[in-house]
Amino acid sequence: MTRDEFERNKRRFGDTVETWPAPFRQQAMALMADGAGLDDDPDTALDRLVLEASLVEGDDQALARKVLARIDSDRTRSPFLPRFFLAPAGLAACAAAALLAVTVVGYQVARQQDDLQDSELLALASGARLTDDGGPGIVDEPGIGADPTEEDSL
Amino acid sequence: MVPVAVQHEKAREDDELLARVAAGNQGALSELIARHGRGLRVFAARYLGNEGDAEDLVQEVFVTVWKQAARFDPARGRASTWLYRITANRCIDQRRRRALRSFIWLDDVRDEVPSPEADAEATTAARQELAIVRDGLSRLPERQRMAVLLRAVGDLDIAAIAEVMGGSAGSAEQLLVRGRRALRDHLAMAAAGRERKSS
Repeated sequence: MTRDEFERNKRRFGDTVETWPAPFRQQAMALMADGAGLDDDPDTALDRLVLEASLVEGDDQALARKVLARIDSDRTRSPFLPRFFLAPAGLAACAAAALLAVTVVGYQVARQQDDLQDSELLALASGARLTDDGGPGIVDEPGIGADPTEEDSL
Repeated sequence: MVPVAVQHEKAREDDELLARVAAGNQGALSELIARHGRGLRVFAARYLGNEGDAEDLVQEVFVTVWKQAARFDPARGRASTWLYRITANRCIDQRRRRALRSFIWLDDVRDEVPSPEADAEATTAARQELAIVRDGLSRLPERQRMAVLLRAVGDLDIAAIAEVMGGSAGSAEQLLVRGRRALRDHLAMAAAGRERKSS
């Protein structure tokens, strides 16, 4: 690093060399230590080139302000509405749970209907008379589905 | 290289800062951001190829640091390594999400980090070289690019790069060697192309 480059970096990164990006900092420290240029090896030179090519504009103070604002907003967020449920994964989980619940309820309803049909088939098979609505036909027929204690009492 | 004593001193200061962050000191977090924010943002921006995404991602990293600082164990590694590890993991997640988005909506994912003063860049050989390096970086396989950036931007040694990337020191070194070789080849090809044009 030449003296001109050092001055340019000083304007770019600030007066405190310790806060400069690493390869610049290394070279600046070497320059300050012995006042001479740095004896680069090819890898170090390439690393420096990569760093210089990668630099992007940015404000560290603005970054700190934004981070602290996010932390504060997290604190003030309602505990009754966890962040998870606002995230896409949370919404997807809620949707999956709702779908599962609907499926289970639908299965239960369908099974009850199947039970009804089973009792009708049983009634038919045993020669029982069915009511028009197919309901309590079995218990209407004497001897079928009647309470055995009542039969004994006769 | 930074003298070992200076490195140890900086690492110790980082450890102290993280301990203060874990105790709920926001000033310590601001100081940590001042020390590492720029490096993490540069790393993320060049790895992701998108400066806006990198800014958001680094904010998330420091929010995570605020919440998880108590989990940092100085005996297991340096604070800077821990910070880069969190950032690298977030970067990988971010790239996966972008890849999924591009798959679903057929988005065109390109390097969106603006090249500063693109017109003027061609006017000087030095700036042209930087543009070629950026192009070369964007063409590297992701893991090679990560290793090269962790070394150049994060100033991490091989052991720390391996820790961040979750592999062995040998594989990290291989990635670094291959990445550097590919970059050099890219620079050499560009230089040869320029010479052909001028002649």
